[in-house]
Amino acid sequence: MAIIELEGKTFEVDGDGFLSHPEIWNEEVANLFAKSDGIEEMNEKHWAIVKIIRRNWEEKGMAPMIRVICQETGVRLREIYELFPLGPARGACRIAGLPKPDGCV
Amino acid sequence: MGRLSEEKKKLGLEVLSFHEDSKLITNLNSCVHCGLCADSCIYYRSEPNEHYVPAKKVDIVASIYRRYNTFLGKKIPWLTKARDLDDATIEEMVDLLYGSCTMCGRCTIHCSIGVDINYVVRKGREMLSRMGYVPESLNATVKAAIETGNNMGIPTKEFVDTIEWLEDDLRFELNDDNANIPLNQKGKDIMYTLNPREPKFFPLSISAMAKVFYAANESWSLSTEMYDVTNYAFFAGNMDEANVIAQRMDDEMNKLESKKCVLAECGHGSRAFKWEGPNYIRKKLLYEVLTSVELLAQYIREGKIKVDPDRLTEVVTLHDPCNLVREGGVIEEQRYVLRKIAKNFVEMTPHGTDNLCCGGGGGQLAMSEYNARRMKTAGLKADQIRKTGASIVVTPCHNCVDQLMQTNVEYKLNVKIMTLAELVADALILE
Repeated sequence: MAIIELEGKTFEVDGDGFLSHPEIWNEEVANLFAKSDGIEEMNEKHWAIVKIIRRNWEEKGMAPMIRVICQETGVRLREIYELFPLGPARGACRIAGLPKPDGCV
Repeated sequence: MGRLSEEKKKLGLEVLSFHEDSKLITNLNSCVHCGLCADSCIYYRSEPNEHYVPAKKVDIVASIYRRYNTFLGKKIPWLTKARDLDDATIEEMVDLLYGSCTMCGRCTIHCSIGVDINYVVRKGREMLSRMGYVPESLNATVKAAIETGNNMGIPTKEFVDTIEWLEDDLRFELNDDNANIPLNQKGKDIMYTLNPREPKFFPLSISAMAKVFYAANESWSLSTEMYDVTNYAFFAGNMDEANVIAQRMDDEMNKLESKKCVLAECGHGSRAFKWEGPNYIRKKLLYEVLTSVELLAQYIREGKIKVDPDRLTEVVTLHDPCNLVREGGVIEEQRYVLRKIAKNFVEMTPHGTDNLCCGGGGGQLAMSEYNARRMKTAGLKADQIRKTGASIVVTPCHNCVDQLMQTNVEYKLNVKIMTLAELVADALILE
């Protein structure tokens, strides 16, 4: 467990910077986390992706497959990696307030 | 961390008492503390503190060995620096062996007298695993693999849907309805495997290999039951679970009656199945096992695929995954491929068997506990990359890809990280 401070707000996170209490997530958290990843302003596509990830996690308890993200948002696969420089897992899932997924990510 | 019971302690100490393991005993008795290993280690180099000298990792296991397995250690432990296996020792072991080692093996090749430091670290991890001290996050990844068949817990239906989606894209891209990504087909020449992060989050490498297989007119299939090339139990040091995972791969190969098992770009996966697998399951594998890196080189060498040598003009550098290169002996194949498809291929210094680990190996990527330390070690790789002036870093290992992606952002390198198959697919000349 660690504490990060972003623009005067503190959050309890795991060693990788994922929220320790995913339930406290809101859009403000997403904006602050995105900024700390170098995403200055979340655009419509960022939000669409983050919201799909969040919804899937709330309904099914896991991050969605990248296929679901592409198909439901209409964002092209290659573009997702440009939108989130840290990728869908360390980037988008963290911004969506999920715990860190297992595996090589 | 739970307290150490006598029962757990016995399980841990057994690892040091298997008399068949003369290799371990030799290595535990040989370190002369010359300290030359220090400079080979990315932990020591990124933070020159004696705590990180690889010999310390050998030392802690050796001191426990002496305490319980030698006459002097049993009678006069202080004389031989023999150490009790207790809670304090375990805490230090966990920090040294899990938290400060990527098992990259660089110290082993630099050791002045040839101590297999890497092997001692693995044995130490085995002890900790038997006593129940595997870091929780690493254990979760192993547990997911054991319980669901893949280390990200992807349900089969989701996997199949993803492959079908990729197949549609492939047909569209190639403008050929016969292009396919076969599933569960028996009697094909190749059973191909994947790192679960490919279907879950990074499927460009699956499409790339499918395109290469299409170009080579290969007879191949994926399995929906056992496609996971990883074996995190190897990192955790849990030999029973490593055995279960390797056995599943062997069973699936036999079920699909394929001639070759082709391992995706995954350093530890290739090491754990090709080189360690037969030891885990205690039998010879009855088919050929090779990495996709070797296969790609073979395709180009034999003219099974044609690649355009002029298309890729950006400066490309190569990161050597420790488990594939230093531990697995696949050194020249990736270079051969790159020279055929990249006009400007620049090596890092050092490279090949002396390459520096990216910092993500040994299960580090899975262990959130040591994230800050991991990103500090990544600074060495960042410097290496920066010095090449490359805009593309290719690495035949998905684990390294992820570590390098994070390094790229953290150290503002502004490079693109790609797998070898992705580069080859982009260079294909299709007739």
